[in-house]
Formats: sequence, structure tokens, C-alpha cells
Amino acid sequence: MALTDTRPETGTDASAVAPSVVPSPLTIFGTGDHKAVGTFYVLAALVFGIAGWVAASLSLGHEVGSNPFLSGSTAMQLGQTSNLGLILLVIVPLFLGLGTYIVPLQVGASTVAFPRAAAAAMWTWLLSSGVFIVASFIDGGFGGSREKSVSLTLMALGGLIIALLLGTVCVLTTAVTLRTPGMTLDRVPMFTFSMLVGGAIWLLTLPVLLANLLLIWVDHRYNGGTTFGAGAIQFEQVSWITHEPQIYAFLIPGLGIVADVIATLTGARLGQRNILLLAIGAFGVLSVGAWAQPAIYPSASDDLLWQAMGILMLLPVLLLFGGVAKAFKDGKPSLKSPLGLAVASLLLTLLAVLAGALLAITPLELRASELFATGQFVLAIAAALSAAAAGIGYWGPKMTGGHSADGLGKLNVLVLLGGGALGGLSLCVVGFSHRFTGLDGAHDALVGVSSIGCLLLALGGALALLGLLSGARKGAPEAAADAWGTGQTLEWACPSPPPTGNFGDLAVVRSPEPLLDEEA
Amino acid sequence: MTAHVLPPAPAVQRPRVLVVGTAFAAAASFMVFVGLIGIYLAARADVIASGTAWLPKGVSIPLQQPNTMFITLIMSVFTMQWAVAAIAKNDRVNAYLAMGLTLMLGIATIVMTTYLWYLMELDIASGIQGVLIYTITGAHIVMLVVAMIFVALMGLRALGGLPPLLFFGTRWLPSMP
Repeated sequence: MALTDTRPETGTDASAVAPSVVPSPLTIFGTGDHKAVGTFYVLAALVFGIAGWVAASLSLGHEVGSNPFLSGSTAMQLGQTSNLGLILLVIVPLFLGLGTYIVPLQVGASTVAFPRAAAAAMWTWLLSSGVFIVASFIDGGFGGSREKSVSLTLMALGGLIIALLLGTVCVLTTAVTLRTPGMTLDRVPMFTFSMLVGGAIWLLTLPVLLANLLLIWVDHRYNGGTTFGAGAIQFEQVSWITHEPQIYAFLIPGLGIVADVIATLTGARLGQRNILLLAIGAFGVLSVGAWAQPAIYPSASDDLLWQAMGILMLLPVLLLFGGVAKAFKDGKPSLKSPLGLAVASLLLTLLAVLAGALLAITPLELRASELFATGQFVLAIAAALSAAAAGIGYWGPKMTGGHSADGLGKLNVLVLLGGGALGGLSLCVVGFSHRFTGLDGAHDALVGVSSIGCLLLALGGALALLGLLSGARKGAPEAAADAWGTGQTLEWACPSPPPTGNFGDLAVVRSPEPLLDEEA
Repeated sequence: MTAHVLPPAPAVQRPRVLVVGTAFAAAASFMVFVGLIGIYLAARADVIASGTAWLPKGVSIPLQQPNTMFITLIMSVFTMQWAVAAIAKNDRVNAYLAMGLTLMLGIATIVMTTYLWYLMELDIASGIQGVLIYTITGAHIVMLVVAMIFVALMGLRALGGLPPLLFFGTRWLPSMP
């Protein structure tokens, strides 16, 4: 039996007892169960998220006033580490965790493809993340002065990219090969489709980041850091993943979550579904940014293609808004927290894309200031975090078997929307200061507001974590298989939490909303 | 609220899990080299545009060794396919032979790469050229070694007595027909 094969004892057995929501250490270290692996991704990523937003807040707060509390080098490393960390330690693993857990359920599979590889990917990611954090703290961030620490950081980043790619391969293979009969690609749930698009873009672009890191490491280690490994330009070579258009690639699964949440909690089928699938696909295509590396191609942002991508990105988001508005019009919205978080995510996505479109307009000269782009980064990551929080709230009952405290979720809507808007928009306003001299005096205040916004986003991550745990606590209201009563897709056809093997026998799927067909 | 109970579905012919997974992994590996070679070409164009030669004085890259490596790797494609076909037929002898040959071809490629490094006389610390050339060829060797470990693992499992279909196929995957 190959390493990538499933152990025979994990075969389909829907009658088996549902696993505990919080598995024992022995289970978690040895398991290839996609539900345990997915849960662990989500829990760890939320913890990293809290730390990441606090670090981002500190690096911004450092700029406020005339008495900085961090040295310039430390603040720079903290800012760069938190930017990369928020993508590779928080957003990608959050979506990958939800994908590992939910995609097999949505496509009616008994397991994720290559379950042991998925588990190996999760552990490698977790280990590499730990090494990355430790190495960054000992002056090993980009441009750090401790040579061995910098090498460690680069190797840890390489390890966690490989792990994330391996996890992505498992989820994508599940979506492509393990779909239940009748579930053609145009009938897969929106989240699964968005994971397919997003994962494909990650597979095409994250390896290029790995190539950048390899060159930096080889030069740093063997050539004394005179070319790619020179301290001053190390981060510049990888900064493209934090900028337009690549930053949008990390929002793609969030669009699918938003669509699934809104369809279920309004109780309406998504109208013009194929157009929405096309919109998610277009969003993916327009987010390929590995070619626009400022270190290799300094005039990339003057390229017509780059500018067109930034402006055209508005179209798929507006199409999604149209689809969602129709669902609200046709259905009866249930005012639950995941719905609020989904709407918050969509609003923040629109703000991020609007900021990106402004950034692409050359006469505005917004690219002259890095702060505008940083504001757009905060908006985009806040949108992704809100979508992930919506997904955690929405599938929380499926994952934990209990309903979480909805009040926490509703509070989180305000916290994440407020945090994202404060954290991102205030920096975008600072970005206009070269055009409006009156804004110069408000620089400190606006950066301070952004720093507070980042702290709110850290709180948002903590509330999402508490919400998930509250569903697992003793005495939480027990969740039915169809926890919301209006489930449309297959994950709501299996018990909450799903047993080993997930499903018994499934019917042939005849539409994108098989559970509505069953009721009809 | 009760669980939705749905009638049974018929058996289904699905795409092969291992083939699709390998295709995704291969695409990601390919993109690493696309990134590396893209940066190589951009750096090379910059150096040449500045009016200097790409390779430092005294350094040359002979073509005989890279060509031999290329042909060796193409041969390994056929021997690996031979191994896959033998495994599909439960033909243990041919599987051993094909996997052994594949490993030997892999080792030959590594030896030829190191010989090429020796012939080039290019110091890694000579500048951007050394870093790029050694990173690209080094990454290629790492990928080759990983593939050889996988082949060796399959060979060891066959020696251990597992029927070939079980160590290469997806028979254990519970959802497969």
C-alpha cells in the first residue's frame, strides 16, 4: 500500500459512531480523517491570525508619533512577517482547512483524496509555521542581521509553501475525481467550485514564490547575499503576493463561501448560477500575479495588462453582488450571524477591488505611496477573514455537532466589518496625501486608526475561534443533519458531525441543489 | 430535524485519483521551474543588455552532458511506463526490472549533472550567473531524488510482498468502485 493510499480500516461505514469533535492527541497525531485534519487547520490558523493582526497593528502603531517604540529594522521585519504570515499562516490554511473538511462532504465523497498526504501536509505546515515564527523573532525576518536565522526563515517558508501545495492537491483531486454520480462540475456547490478555481491559481502561483525563496536562500547561503539574497531586496522579491493582482487569489474561496451561505440562509436557489460560476472563474484568472514581480519587472504596474486586470476585477465582483441581491429578493433571509459575516465579506471585497481599480489608474499616482497598497492589502485580507468566519459559523454546527453562540457571531460582524474598514480605508486615505496637502497633518491619526482596525481584526479572529469552540461545548444545542433547516447541498445530508465514511448511499444528483430536489 | 435519507446511487466510473493528483502535483513542480527559468531569462537579458557577456570569463557550458541527461531522462519515461504497465498486470519480475532501470537512469542523470558542474568551472559565488545556474540545476536534482525515493519505496513494497496493484493503484480508496 502506497503512502498516498487510504488505510483499509478507514473505508466507508456510515453506521460507525461519529468521532469526537475535539479528538484525543493520539487520534489527531495519527489520523488521516479529513474532518480532524480540516478542524486542526482551522483552529491553528485562527490562533496564528490573532497573532498576525496584533503584529500588523504593532508595526503600524510604531509609525505613530515621534517616539517609535520599535527599532526601524524590527518594525520593518514585523510588518513584512505579518503580511506574509497573514496569507500563508492564516488565510490560505483557513480556506484549505475548510476545504479539507467540507469539499468531500459537498461532493458526496467518503474521504478526501490522499488522506495521509493531507495529514502530512497539515503537520508539515504547522511545523514550518512554528519554525517561521520562531526564526522571525530571532532577527531572522527578511533583511535580518542573523544569517542563520534568515536561512531558517527562508527554509520554513519553503516548507510551508510545499505543505500548502500538497494540501491543495488533495482538495482539488477530491473535487475532480470523487464527486458523487450526477454531480457534474457545473453542479458542484459554490464553495467547492471556488476552491477548485482558487486552488488551481495557488498551484500555478505559489510555486513561483517558492522559486523566489530558493534563489534568495541560495544567494544568501552560498554567495554572501550579494544578488537575490541582499538584505535590502529580499522582501521586495516576494512582495508580489501581498499586492494586486495576486492578493485577490487568496479571496477566491471566500466568494464561494459567501454564495453558499447566502443561498442557504435566504432559502433561495442562486439565480443565474452559471454566470456566478463564470464570475468566480474570471476572478481567478484576473488574480494571477506571479508575472508582476517588481524586483524582476520593475515597470509591471505601468503595463496595460496589470492596469486592465485591476480595473476589470470589478466586473466579477459586481456580478456576484447581483446574484446575491437576487437571492435576497427571492428568498426569506434568516438573520443569522453567518449571513451577516458573508455580507460583510462581500462589502470588504468590493472595497478592496475598488481600491485596486483606483490603484490601477495611473493619473491618480497612488502607486507613489506604499500606504495605499497596504490599505488595499488590509481590506482584502479582512474580506477573506470575514468569509472564513462566515464559513466557520455556517459549517460550525456540522463540524462540532452543536450550534454556536449566535450572539458572538453577530458581534463579530461589527468587529470584522469595522476592523477591515478602519484598518484598510484609513491607509487608503493616507495614500492620497501627496495630492491633498491637508492630509499630511492627519497622517499619524489615520495610521493610528488603521492600527486600531488591525487590533479589531485580531479580535474578530478570536471571536470566530470562540464561536467554533462554543458549538463544541457541553450543553450546546444539538445540531441536526441539516443544521439550518434550509440546506441545499450534500454536506447537510450527513449527520452532524459526520461519521467515518460520511454518507450512506446517495441518490444521483440532478441539480446544484440536491436537497431541494429531494424535498420537492 | 432528521437527516435526509436518499435512495442509493448506481456505481460510477470516476477519473483515476492518482493520475489527477499526479497531474496537479506535476503542474505545481512545473511552475517552480517556470518561475526559476523566467527569472534566469530576465537576469540574462539585463546582463546582455548592459553590454557584457552572460557567462563570466573562462566559464563555458558544454552541450554534450546536458544532451546526454536529456536523452537519459526521456529513456526513464519509457522505463517508468514499463513499470506501471507491469504493475497493472501484477507482473512482479518486469516491475522490479523496470523500476531498477528507472533508478539507474536517475542516478546516471545525477552523475552527469555533477560532471557538468565540474566541467563548467563556475563558482557559485561568482555572481548572479552562478546562483541562478546552480539553483535551477540543484532544484532539478532535488526533484529527481524525490521521484527516485518514490520509485524505491514502490520497489521495497514489492519486495516486501504486497501485490503490485495494491502499492500503486487506488484499490484501498473506499469510494472507488
